[in-house]
Amino acid sequence: MNLQSVPLEYYLTLSAILFVIGAVGVLTRRNAIIIFMSIELMLNAVNLTLVAFSQFFGDPGGQIFVFFVMAVAAAEAAVGLAIVLALFRNKQTVYVDEVNIMKW
Amino acid sequence: MGENNIVVSYLPLIVMVAVGFVFGLSNVFLAEILGSRRNKTNVKLDTYECGMEPVKTARERFSVKFYLVAMLFIVFDIEIVFMYPWAVKFRELGEIGLVAMLLFMALLFAGFVYVYKKGALTWD
Amino acid sequence: MSVTVLLFGILAVVAVASGISTVMSRNPVASAMSLVLHFFTLAGIYLTLQAQFIAAVQVLVYAGAIMVLVVFMIMLLNVGREEQMRENPGYRTIIGTALGVMLAFQVGKTAFTDVAGRHVLPPGSAVTGTTEALGETLFKMYLFPFEAVSLLLLVAVVGAVILAKRKI
Repeated sequence: MNLQSVPLEYYLTLSAILFVIGAVGVLTRRNAIIIFMSIELMLNAVNLTLVAFSQFFGDPGGQIFVFFVMAVAAAEAAVGLAIVLALFRNKQTVYVDEVNIMKW
Repeated sequence: MGENNIVVSYLPLIVMVAVGFVFGLSNVFLAEILGSRRNKTNVKLDTYECGMEPVKTARERFSVKFYLVAMLFIVFDIEIVFMYPWAVKFRELGEIGLVAMLLFMALLFAGFVYVYKKGALTWD
Repeated sequence: MSVTVLLFGILAVVAVASGISTVMSRNPVASAMSLVLHFFTLAGIYLTLQAQFIAAVQVLVYAGAIMVLVVFMIMLLNVGREEQMRENPGYRTIIGTALGVMLAFQVGKTAFTDVAGRHVLPPGSAVTGTTEALGETLFKMYLFPFEAVSLLLLVAVVGAVILAKRKI
């Protein structure tokens, strides 16, 4: 099996770039839904790292882990977006900086 | 297996993606080039001898029932995805695999029963 | 430069561009569509890694299910209107970008130090991306996490219904 025509470093670098894009999105946006999508970006960047290491080291465990990450992401999508929905019902906003009732 | 084999084995996929992109983009650009730019009245932009008459804007707020259905879809989508690797190794895994999958499905079925009893699926 | 590297390069550029577009778009719907494109390019990158099953699951779960939920949520809250788009670029943008640059530096430094290439198997030694191999590993070594996932999904269903339904 020939897959090592693309070096491992390329995948790791791409993954790092994508993770940073997601992190910047989480830190700079106010819209809760876009923050949620940025978190998905970060999860996907980590998934890419796991798959790359799994394939280069010949260990399927990394891909199983990606599988579990996807299941957790689905659960997170269901509950997280329901929280956004409950937030919108109570405060009529999805902007996280307008939700400061717990702030001291 | 050489590298050319890998590329060749994914060639149909690459061709399909390329054709899809070209077809979609060419439709948009051809409509821009060939279509008339003047006299865009409401009547002329309306559907012509096909489709439904548009009744109102598509930017309406959706009902929360759609969210509940989509959420249930996600959970059972994950369940099905976990069944693929089980299905291809079904004979080798034997009874242990069957029991494991039955337990998995029983737990998710409990969630389904909960949702059903709570009436989240009724469309009133 | 081989065809696979070229393919990887194209997919990587599209993935980064669509990721940036997801984070930067003013309109949440445009953001969501960019994210769908991002998930598809990542599936392509998994194919260049020969992880066929993960690539298919990526499209099924992320592009097919999670993004449907996100788009429903955007439609449900109807936050796509222009007058609500007032994200002022203030101190938070500066701090966020600075932190991002720092993180990029750290992660990049770690990625390039020494781990890569040390334990890499010689080509032709393992086939791990197929559904059979993953099924073997999942049900022989990771049986308990597999059952735990069903519990997690059960809790997610219950939690989402309690949070989202108006009258329980």
